[in-house]
Amino acid sequence: MPDPAVTVDGLTKSYGRLAALSDVSFTIRPGEVLGLIGPNGAGKTTLFECMAGVLPFEAGTVKFDGAALPTRARASRIFYVPDAIAPWPTETVRWALDFTVGFFGGRADRKAEVIERLNLSPFVSSRIGTLSKGQRKRAVLGIGMLTPHPVLLIDEPFDGLDLRQTREVGGALREHAASGRTLFLSIHQISDAARVCDRFVLLSGGRVRGEGTVDQLMAHAGPSGSPGSNGSGFDLEDVVLALT
Amino acid sequence: MWFLRLRDRPFAWLLAKEWRELLASRAWWVMLLLIGPLVGVSFVSAVRTYAELSGLNGTAAGVGEAFSPLIGVWAPTFSACELAAAFLLPFVAIRVVAGDKQSGALKLESQQSMRPAWRVAAKAVVLLVAWLIASLPAGVAVILWRAYGGSVYPPELIALAFGHVLNAGLTIALAAAAASLTEHPSTAAIVTLSVTVGTWILNFIAAVHGGVWQRIAEYTPTAMVAQFQHGLVRLDVTLAAVTLTIAGLAIAAVWMQIGAPVLRRASATAFVLAVAGAVLLGVTFTGRSWDLSEARINSFPEADEQALARIREPLHMEVHFAPEDPRRTDLEAKTLSKLRRALPKLQVTYVSATSTGLFEQTSAHYGEIFYDLGGRHADNRRTSADGVLETIYSLAGIAPPAESDDSVFRGHPLAVPPRRAGTVFYGIWPALVAAAALWHRRV
Repeated sequence: MPDPAVTVDGLTKSYGRLAALSDVSFTIRPGEVLGLIGPNGAGKTTLFECMAGVLPFEAGTVKFDGAALPTRARASRIFYVPDAIAPWPTETVRWALDFTVGFFGGRADRKAEVIERLNLSPFVSSRIGTLSKGQRKRAVLGIGMLTPHPVLLIDEPFDGLDLRQTREVGGALREHAASGRTLFLSIHQISDAARVCDRFVLLSGGRVRGEGTVDQLMAHAGPSGSPGSNGSGFDLEDVVLALT
Repeated sequence: MWFLRLRDRPFAWLLAKEWRELLASRAWWVMLLLIGPLVGVSFVSAVRTYAELSGLNGTAAGVGEAFSPLIGVWAPTFSACELAAAFLLPFVAIRVVAGDKQSGALKLESQQSMRPAWRVAAKAVVLLVAWLIASLPAGVAVILWRAYGGSVYPPELIALAFGHVLNAGLTIALAAAAASLTEHPSTAAIVTLSVTVGTWILNFIAAVHGGVWQRIAEYTPTAMVAQFQHGLVRLDVTLAAVTLTIAGLAIAAVWMQIGAPVLRRASATAFVLAVAGAVLLGVTFTGRSWDLSEARINSFPEADEQALARIREPLHMEVHFAPEDPRRTDLEAKTLSKLRRALPKLQVTYVSATSTGLFEQTSAHYGEIFYDLGGRHADNRRTSADGVLETIYSLAGIAPPAESDDSVFRGHPLAVPPRRAGTVFYGIWPALVAAAALWHRRV
């Protein structure tokens, strides 16, 4: 087993009296596609924002290659793509990609590949504010894929995409990970997560309920999450239901 | 070449992005569109009044001040910039600062390891350039004035323009801090306008109560601009404006660190305010000032200033006038403001029991001025500059300098109508701005 790229240890965050994350700990291995799954309100977005340094947290550490990363240092290691944003709405997708390369120091030679893999060509000259939800999602994913940070966190990468686009984007993300990038994806559609991710962190009520591959999670869930419980064979959804 | 190396730096990208954000902002185009006619109205009205007064042959010494282009033309013309800085510029600044937060771009940009101070600096630089562009109509007014044959005295014009740039800087910093502190742009706009209105209330309180309020009110944007409009550049006022601008931008940078705990950001804000407060307190002891007006409206005649420079002892004046007494206003504006510049060791104490003085007229000593120069005393009721200076010379044992007509400012009368100004400010400028806005939308 390779040494973890990122270790999250005891991360705790609350909004007033509401505990959003309680003692969250897990690891992300280099080059893997790790899925963050869990029901609505589990704390997935909060966890990503805390890890990326755009939201403060009360306790815990985020380590990269074994060394603790202070908030500012995280900006050079971890990049987070939020859900439901329309950055620079008056600018074109092409400009946003160029800006990402220039401002974040991304790889210019990957731009054409990202445009092709995410099928951005039809709207690359359109302003981001005029795009549909799905087009905007792909544009924002393109921004994330061009950043140079070794670890990429993406909140709901398939939200707003139709079935075909979901599969295409899923394939693009797998290829991206294969090129040496570590991905951590927050996905609420379990079937999508099962198709794209190598391992999973199951979050519910701000706590980690399980971490590992589907088999490891099934073993952790016990008989209620075992294959065939719903009569249709192996199913990650059953595991999630059993553990949350 | 250094600028070619800079081109690919993240800061250059950020600067370019902020510039594009500005051009995409409707608030910016609205400000640009409106400032032309605003300056036009002020300029046309000022030139007409100036021409009417010039046509009365009033060129004798004593009324020359009325024919100073600084007071007659530039102060009213540039007041349009003050209006724009108070009511239009904040919306442009808030749009540039809060836009990133609204669109979610801030969450992406804050993941670049660049210091927040640089991010705020990029916005401030772009907004300052935006303000300079918006000030172009005032520059066009200068060109028109020259074309009419009007006199331009560059030092006083530069002082005035500098004052308006400082005022714009304050507005930008205030709006940036408000936009960074609040969640929504509309809240930021309310906060910014509230502070502006608050400074007006402070000026009003100062006019009513005087004392320490008056001292504080000297540093409000309105009072600051008024001094520059008279060609007076005060080091303390300039440093105070720069300090407040830096403090506002620093607070904006602190609250842009969305990943930092709120308590840490609040502590940093308190630290910035404490440092700014200490610096402001320090600069109030800086007494240097420069009268850049051609008419020397902030100074006594040179002979008097030379005579006053010979007085080494501290002078204490106890003035028995209520804050709202017009004689006090007159004394302050026409005599004491000049005397403070000529005698750095001057200390003035106002004494009154009421704010209006209406029911103090019969009180003992009301309306009197008591002088103490190195232990020698005098008192009288003379409030004119000549009367005050004579009393001081008498106490100091200095012969009053002989009056000389040579040093009297004769003014620059000009009896011409504001030709082509209407076409330029109400026609050409709005058309150019509209064309530029449309062209930008298409590109």
